[in-house]
This record gives sequence, structure tokens and C-alpha cells, in this order.
Amino acid sequence: MIFPAEDFYADAPRPTPLFPAVAAHSEANLWTSVNGWTAARVYTSTAQEYECAKSGAALADLGPLARYAVRGGEAAAFLGRLTSAPALTLQAGESARGLMLDDRGFVIDLAEVSRLSEDLFLLTLPAPHARHIALAVRGLDVAAENISGDVAALGVFGPQTAGVLAAAGLKSVSETMAASGVLRGVETAARPIQFGALPGVELIFPKDEALTIWERIIRRGVGTPIGLDAMEILRLEAGAPRPGLDFMPAGRPGASPRTPEELGLAHLAPLDRGWFNGRRGLRELAGKPRRRLRALSVDAEAASPGAAVFCDAKPVGRITSWVWSPARKRVIAFADVDAASRGNTYEISATPPAEGRLAAKRFETVESALAKAFAGEQGVATDFRR
Amino acid sequence: MNDASKKTADKKNPHLIEGGIDAIVIGSGVDGLTAAAYLGRAGLRTVLIGAGPEIGGRIAVREIAPGVEGVDGEHLVTVLDPEVIADLELYRHGIEFAARRLDTTYFFESGGVLRFDGDLTQAALLSLDDDSDREALEAFMGDVLETSAFLRPAFAPGGYPGGGDAHQRALEKSLGQASPEMAMRIRKYLFATADDVLRARFGEGALRTLLLAETSLRSGASPFEPFSFMSLLRRYAGEAAGLQGAAAYPKGGAASVVTALRRAAQAAKVDVRAATPIKSILIEGDKVAGVTLLDGGQVRASIVIAAVDAQQAFQEMIGPQFIDIGLQRMLTARRPHIASARMQIVLKGVAQDDATRRNMMRRLVYAPSPEAIASAFIDARAGRVPERLIVEAVFPTALDEGAALDKRQIMSVLAHPLPFDAEPDAERREAIRSAILDSIEMFAAGFSGRIEAEDLRLACDDAQSVHASSGAYASKPDILQQWALAAAVSGSGGISGFYFCGPEAQIGAGLSCAAGRVAARAALRAYKKGAA
Repeated sequence: MIFPAEDFYADAPRPTPLFPAVAAHSEANLWTSVNGWTAARVYTSTAQEYECAKSGAALADLGPLARYAVRGGEAAAFLGRLTSAPALTLQAGESARGLMLDDRGFVIDLAEVSRLSEDLFLLTLPAPHARHIALAVRGLDVAAENISGDVAALGVFGPQTAGVLAAAGLKSVSETMAASGVLRGVETAARPIQFGALPGVELIFPKDEALTIWERIIRRGVGTPIGLDAMEILRLEAGAPRPGLDFMPAGRPGASPRTPEELGLAHLAPLDRGWFNGRRGLRELAGKPRRRLRALSVDAEAASPGAAVFCDAKPVGRITSWVWSPARKRVIAFADVDAASRGNTYEISATPPAEGRLAAKRFETVESALAKAFAGEQGVATDFRR
Repeated sequence: MNDASKKTADKKNPHLIEGGIDAIVIGSGVDGLTAAAYLGRAGLRTVLIGAGPEIGGRIAVREIAPGVEGVDGEHLVTVLDPEVIADLELYRHGIEFAARRLDTTYFFESGGVLRFDGDLTQAALLSLDDDSDREALEAFMGDVLETSAFLRPAFAPGGYPGGGDAHQRALEKSLGQASPEMAMRIRKYLFATADDVLRARFGEGALRTLLLAETSLRSGASPFEPFSFMSLLRRYAGEAAGLQGAAAYPKGGAASVVTALRRAAQAAKVDVRAATPIKSILIEGDKVAGVTLLDGGQVRASIVIAAVDAQQAFQEMIGPQFIDIGLQRMLTARRPHIASARMQIVLKGVAQDDATRRNMMRRLVYAPSPEAIASAFIDARAGRVPERLIVEAVFPTALDEGAALDKRQIMSVLAHPLPFDAEPDAERREAIRSAILDSIEMFAAGFSGRIEAEDLRLACDDAQSVHASSGAYASKPDILQQWALAAAVSGSGGISGFYFCGPEAQIGAGLSCAAGRVAARAALRAYKKGAA
């Protein structure tokens, strides 16, 4: 699950249930606000945290994300309506990604749905959408309870996730199946997550038990807390767009809404899946993208958000987010460009005080590979060229 | 088992699946009958299904007192769609107007009386003494009739802004081609309160009061709110008996329109089934597939037109799991506050003097002072019964020879604004009854002594009689809100083969049938395209 853009102007963000635990590990003491909750930008150093996530196990406080416990006989129908995730076909223990769309088929947000039992689901969203959810509940036998502030959420990911869980005595937590139960006296729900390309597990437990679980893991000396800056590198390497940064969620004042296809996420809202909100609108928009979100690799040390993107010497868009990627040894960035610009190579304006333009090239990410495979399956033309 | 008994057994079989049908129309009101007749005439095998025992929806003939029948629903025709009359040959099917352009007599709180000619273009015939008022009224009516005629497409179902189809494009094109003067006038009229426009034209005079009452009648928006002037434009954009803005009385009342439509449907070989409640509309994929009846049976067809209220059609029959959240929000966010009430009163004796007899051949309107109208809207919105009401009255027994009674008269009254109640108790009904009678006494002193019987009918009674949602016939909000809702419901939630022509698809009140026509034509276009 991807964090939404930070709310830079928020006053006095609330501490997440895990805040007392993670704050003790923050050497940089660099915090920001996400959805009104505290979130660490950096604990020790971005490079170290990134490396740990790639080769060891990273621990992320996922408290700022919005979480809903969805119960009731029509919970699956409700989630199948609210999101494009295939909630109706999920078996207990399975999770799926999807999108929340508005009636016209534009993306409101990303969504992850996990089925914990026959009539209990967990819905995770980058940001709370209380009104939209309250409206979607009407007329259905379902209760969607916002549990964001009541539970602590700890993301464990990286190649050594299983080791961390075992070290903490959480062997019964599966990396592939969502489940809920009592783990060593603590009521816990666990579900697989993907942060970028990294598989992991999200543990959700009552906020009163936050320190208990945290201590169990930390005492074993495995796992390193990871902040937003390192997660941003993982996100861009995986090619996952960030709400509020790479696209503005539909319905926000002044937002220029984007379709799943325009964000390269058409595989998360297939038109042949059961009905979901906005599918009829999406059908009208399918195959007619106006913009495209491209993952670009730039021959430079730095870039700047908002930098102009050129194709064949014509301005076609702008950079929406960028980082230095240790894996690619280059700047990688998302660019929102005109859908008509079908080239593989672009140029972006250099960051002042430097002048001129920098060469940029599209690269394949996990997300774009999924989109490409989906487009192939659907038999639609794709303009992706390696 | 012989054939007849086998057929009877089949009809009782609750799990019967019936096919071989092209189109199903749900709801046997005027719009349902219109849609079914259009489909039938185009050669589609059409079934019209109504939940109630009678065909005609809320417009029904009912015994309002021993031996006296009255017509529920509407007592005048002001916006009957001329295309429907022509296309369905309603004149051939029996519709006939007893009065085509009713003059109106306005009574004021001050005791003054004014007469307005039934032909609005002849406003100079108004019994005004003051020449400047006469000139101001002529100029005003000229502007208003011209503007409302220009805006007529915007008030037609499917034509409003946001309708998203050919009608909308045509409307946008015509607005784009409007002269600068017309464009400026429309802009002014669109955003203005009715009171602002009328005060600027007529100052504090009786004409302002009169037109404020006309604007407010049946509207959920107070004439002191923005966009309220559009209500008057919408009323004058409509046609009755071929005359713009006229009020007409059909022989037999509004029920004769139902009769003519029913004959048109029967002539088009529509299979009309009353007392057949529908449980749900079948959706398969993104397409409509038919309906499930309350007894468990199914009727399958690739076209379903719902001529019931939107709450019923979308929320109950289709179900929230198949409709977009935005549409559901629009439907559930509506909370009607204002409604009108109908009262049919049987009066003893017949009028002796000529003046009274002449007035009985007219439409009578009691126009309270602007302050009283403002106060009435405030009271009604707060759930209180206002002291003074706008009253529109006609005498069917005087207008229509066929309705004449022996030494008695029927007075049909429409009173507005009243608080909307989903389930009014006896006390509330009594308060409404008293307020209506008190308001009538204001212009017909001593009339209460001649009352032999009376029948009060509230919006919720109309809804209950046709198994509709309680707020289905409450007064509608301002035109802008109506446009937004009508555009949303006419989009039919994007379900292929499903069309909607319930009360929410119509802008404003009155018996129109245009929504049924538009829905049927859209269905036929899609059907022909599919067949091709």
C-alpha cells in the first residue's frame, strides 16, 4: 500500500499508536504528517533504510493509512461495489488490490481488500474517504468501521520478513494468506502486502498492544525501521503512483482526474470484472486516454518536481515525483505526459541553476509489466516498447 | 387437464419464466402508458406492468362523497406534451377539451380582484385600470413568453444541461446562437429570484403579488430564493391544448387523458397487466434482462422502462449494488420539505348570480401578500402549517357538462405551500384542512356553510395509492436541482437497455407525458441499432 502525499500544512499531527515505539528509534527526528498522523521521514539514514529493505527486513509504521473493518452479509458485495478489487471472489485469507473510482470512471484512490473470514474484510486505503464509504454503505447489510486510530499497523517487508516474524514468535503468520486470531495473547490480524516490488506482511493489533509486538521484534535485533523517504525510492522503483503527488484523486477541488489507463493501472480495474462503481463510466473512457503517467530514468544526479518534459522538442508534460535510485544508479521519476507522445525517449528540463535538457528514457517497472501483460491479455494495442 | 385450466395453472405458477417479449414498462401512470404506446406502435411486443389494481397511476376516478366521483392527481392540464398528442393520436382516442384556455381570476388579501386572460399573449385584456401597469405587463409577458419558448428544450426531459445526449447538444447550440439580448435576459432570469424580477418590473403592485403566487404554486422553492424565477418560465414554456402557457380542462378531467393513453396503448397491442407487483429488475452483466415479479416469476426482455419513482426503480428494484454511488447519493440526499394538497369539495346548491357563475367557468387563484407567501414557505419548511396558502380552484361541474351534478357543485382546490409529511396524523390533516378552508374563505366568504362533503388528499396519499415512495409527489426543489437529478436518473445508471421516465425525469409539476415519450424513443433508437 502506498502512502498518499504528505499534508505539509497540517497542524499538530496526531501520534500513531506505534509512535511511542518508533520515536525511540528516530535518530534523525525528522517527521511529517500524513492524513493528520505523524510519519517519520527518516529514522537513521535513507540509504541505510533502503538497503535494509532490499537485503534484510524493514519495519514501517503504517498507522497513517486508512483502515476499515467491513462486516456483514453483504460485505463482499459492498467492497465489490466500492472498489474494483474482486472482493466477491476472494476466499478467506486472500487479498487483492483495486481502485476506488468515481461514477465517471476516474480514480479516487488505490485500495487493498483482504478477506479475513466469510463476512469480515479489511479495507486499506491511502486516505480516509469517510463520506464516500458512508454513501456506498447505504442500502446494504454491511457495517464499515474506521479502525485507523484504534489499531496499530506494522508493515514488515523485505527478503527476511519470515525471519523477523519467526524471531518474534509469529511463525503462524503467513506471508501469503490474510488471517486474524490471537497471537501470544494479542489479538492480531495479518495480511500480505506489497510495497513496491517487495512482498511483506502487515500486522494489525489493538493500539494498547502496540509496544508489546514492537518490542518482541526489536529485541531480537532483526528489522530496521524505515521512513517515508526510503519507501519513496522503493515506490518509484516499483512504478507505483502516489495519490496526491503523481495524480490528484478525483473529486478534489481543482483536480484534473485520471482514469486507471492514464495512470498505467488499467489492470487494477478490468472492465470484464464484476460490476464496480464507475465501471460504466470507465467503459465510455476506455481506450481514449488523454494523459499517460510514464516511469522515466533520467541521466542526472537530480531532478525537480514540475520540470518540463519534452518529446521531439515539444513540451508534453511535467515531472510529478522523482528520487535517486541506488538500484538503477540514476534519477527515476514519474512524468505526466500527453498520451499522444508515444516515444521511448524524452528530455526533461534541467534543475536550476543548471540549464539545458537532460535525456530521459522509459523503463519497465513491476507495475508497468503488469499493465503490459494485462493489455496483451485483453488484446488491446499497447504502445509500450522496451 | 384441458387448455383453459392449464393456462390458469400456469398463471398461478410462481416460478414461471416468460419470454418472447421485447420490452417491459413498469408503472401504469401516464408516462408508463405513453412509453408503452410508443413501443407498441413501433412493433415491439410490449408488456405494461402496474403494481396497483388500477391503470393510470395517481390519476384515478374515485368516489369522494356518496354518489359523487372526483379525479385524483391533477385537476388541470397545463403542460401536456403536444408531440404525444400528435404521435399517439390522442384526439382520435377520445381526448377532448371542455375548456382550452381558462381565464384566471386572482383574489388578493386586500380584497382586490384581477382577471387574467387565458391567452397569455392577450394580457392587455386584463381588467387593469392603470395604463402603466397594463404596458408593463404587456412588455413583461412578451419577454417571458419569448424567453420561455426559447428555453422550452431545456425543460423537456433529456434536454436539460447535463443530459449528455443529442438534446443537450442541441440546447447548447441554440443557447450559443442566442442573441446578446436573449443571452443577457436568460442569464438574469436564471440566477434571479422571482421577487427581484417582479419587483423590478411592477414595484409593490398587485401584479407582483399575482405573479409571485403563480411562480410559487407547486414549487418547492420559495420565490425569494435564487433560480426561482425559472419556475414561472417553465410553467409558461409548457403547452396545453396547443396553447403556450394555457390552462386547459379536458372533458372528464385528467382521467380522460389516462383513458385516451390507455386506448392508444391497447391499439398498439400493449399487454397491460395491473396488480402485478415487481420485486426487482434483472441485471445481467451491464444489461437489463427483465423483471422478477413478487410471486417469484420472471418476465424477460432486453428493454425495461421504469415509470415509477426513482427511489423505487433504482434503490429497490435495481438495488444499490448495481447503481453508482453518486446516483444513490442524489436519490437519498433528497428530503422533501414542501408539498401541495388537493381538496375536492362538494358544495350544496348552485350559484344564482352571473358573476359567480362566470367565475366558476374560470380558474380561480387566491394570491396572499408577498409577505404572507414568504412566511408560508418559512412555516412549511419548518414543518408548520402556514396560516395563508396560495389556492388554485376550478369547478369541474361547471366546466364540464358531463360532470354536472344535481343541485350540487364540485370545487377542486390545490393549496400550496404545505409541509411535507410522510405519515401525517389526524391532527396534521385537520390543521391542513382548516388552513385550506380559511384561505378559501378569504375570497369566497361564507362558502364553508355550503360544504356538503370534502376530500383532502396529500402528496403522501397519492404516493401510497400507487405504491410509490412517500416523497415521490412532494414539490420539487429549484430548477437547477431538478436538472441535476433529472440528468442523473435519465442516464439510467448506465445500465444498457434500462430507461427511466418516473416523476424525477420531468422538470416541474403537471401532467406532461414527455418523459415517457423521450424514454421510449431512446429505447427504440437502441433497439433498432441492436437489430441492425
